[in-house]
Amino acid sequence: MRDTSVFAPWATVRAFFQRLRPEEGRRKSNVWSWFIFILGMIYFFLPLYATFVFSLKMIKDRYTFEAYKVAFQDPNFFSHFGYSVLWAILTIVISLLLIVPTAYWVHWRTPRLRPVVEFITLMPFVVPAVVLTFGLIRAYGSPPIVLIGSPALLIAGYVTLSLPYMFRAVDTGLRSIDVRTLTEAALSLGAGWRVILTQVIFPNLRVAILSGVFLTFAIVMGEFTFASLLAWPAFGPYMEEIGAMRAYTPQALSVVSFLLTWGSIGLLQLVSRGAGQEQIAGAH
Amino acid sequence: MAFLELHNLNKIFGKTEAVADFNLDIEKGELVSFLGPSGCGKTTTLRMVAGFEVPTTGRIKINGVDITDNPPNQRPVGMVFQAYALFPNMTVAGNIGFGMKIARKPAEQIRNRVDEMLELIHMPGLGDRYPYQLSGGQQQRVALARALALSPALLLLDEPLSALDAKIRVSLRSEIRAIQRKLGITAIYVTHDQEEALSLSDRVVVMNVGRMEQVGKPFEIYNYPKTEFVAQFVGTLNAVKAEVIDAASRTLRIEGQNIQAAAGLDGVRNGDRVMIAIRPERLSFTTEGVKANLLECRIENITFLGSIVRIQVLVGALTFHMDTFNNPFLELPKIGENVQITFSREAVLALSQEKST
Repeated sequence: MRDTSVFAPWATVRAFFQRLRPEEGRRKSNVWSWFIFILGMIYFFLPLYATFVFSLKMIKDRYTFEAYKVAFQDPNFFSHFGYSVLWAILTIVISLLLIVPTAYWVHWRTPRLRPVVEFITLMPFVVPAVVLTFGLIRAYGSPPIVLIGSPALLIAGYVTLSLPYMFRAVDTGLRSIDVRTLTEAALSLGAGWRVILTQVIFPNLRVAILSGVFLTFAIVMGEFTFASLLAWPAFGPYMEEIGAMRAYTPQALSVVSFLLTWGSIGLLQLVSRGAGQEQIAGAH
Repeated sequence: MAFLELHNLNKIFGKTEAVADFNLDIEKGELVSFLGPSGCGKTTTLRMVAGFEVPTTGRIKINGVDITDNPPNQRPVGMVFQAYALFPNMTVAGNIGFGMKIARKPAEQIRNRVDEMLELIHMPGLGDRYPYQLSGGQQQRVALARALALSPALLLLDEPLSALDAKIRVSLRSEIRAIQRKLGITAIYVTHDQEEALSLSDRVVVMNVGRMEQVGKPFEIYNYPKTEFVAQFVGTLNAVKAEVIDAASRTLRIEGQNIQAAAGLDGVRNGDRVMIAIRPERLSFTTEGVKANLLECRIENITFLGSIVRIQVLVGALTFHMDTFNNPFLELPKIGENVQITFSREAVLALSQEKST
């Protein structure tokens, strides 16, 4: 079909020059792409590199992993790290139990409510964590429901914090499968809700759920505000505390924290690659 | 007592009446098609039988047992969906055996039944494949096997061939019919494709805006449509208005030319206007000796459609379509040529009447 738009003459001129010097045009575009890519990498990696280099200079005039050794030898490190892992696991379990059935029900029965639910899940982006924490303390610090002193409040806060990530991950997964027809097919074969969720829906959301799980894990592991204000031991406040007292160890912990997040993302990529074909091909 | 009884089914969504006064009895082993355009209520009726929609009023009985209030997973019904709906995380064998696994049948019995079903759908040895490794036609055959594995009392098919290409559609519909006959299972088949409905069914229910227009054998539906909608919807039709010239002899006038009908004009008076219809294949060029039901016309267009040739003629200001079988020795008139066409009195279907004042 002929291009009759107002850009047609310009396109013709450009095509003409590209025909004359195709290699040069391509090279020029490649140079720009590389320039922008390298700029982005410098912006992201330079501070990280600086942090890493600084963390290696604990002993004067030598590059050593001394700061890491000190960090790992501190018994508080493992206890705080362990607490954060525990909070992360509890958050993930409760988030999954809350969000997967809700998102599934919204897709299956009330698709018109999807934008409303989506809006609600975005609230943690709008309400700062400090405000949310004080809200929780005020609401559950006095009767009738007193949760201060119980980790339930911390977990509830973390579940709220991870809501946008977990919901979006599950929602994307649900949109890639025909929830309604698969549910009806399972029902017509005699399946009940428990079987439908565990044998039909969950397995087909494996990748989506895992991405939500890893994101939630990374968020909870690095979270500071909730744990600090609710006075629960966690990796975030521990890093802040160390940072106030020492120079090199916090840098080492920052690098460890980054590695942890990348490890989670790497695992996610690995799992997605393994299951991708199954899900994408099966969804058509 | 019929095997499946649908009594006074009604379904209202908000202010829309999706299904109204639906009454139907289906005998054991019968395959009945619900045929109609989009939004006519055919799928809603099927979904009420499956249990996915709750009737606003009315009852559904299978083998004398009222199942209206049973949830879908407690009805003796198997269903095949337009979108296949195979579970992507399970193999073909897993899909077919899913219902039996839910019903806690022994593993050995499930294995045997899966093999039996794979034989039935001509896919032996493909039990280990995943749905994404199958073609659309194969996926729908697996969906059929899955629905049949539990030996349901009733099989529901919701436009199962719509997503497939034309050639596979034709071969698969024959396969579905053969399997249905072999198993003697009662089935309801929803489709908007008249050819599918006419070729597959023992009876066809033609539906329009939530109501049944006509129920009958495919032959009756096609040849003796009771309403204008059925006549228009099923097959191609030449529908024209004619004036009653002589009610006693059932003589009508179209564009100044007289024709006669064999039946369907009871109660008309001279001067009334009636809507009549003639199927394209009932028209033919005049052969010598034919005196009645002749129409003078001019050839407007000739279209080659493979097995048939469709000829468009102009009778006065009215356009008629005429179908004739293709053969290599067929001698066709030229476009613009004046010819005579004819048809039997029985070919004239009277659809509706307008009384003269």
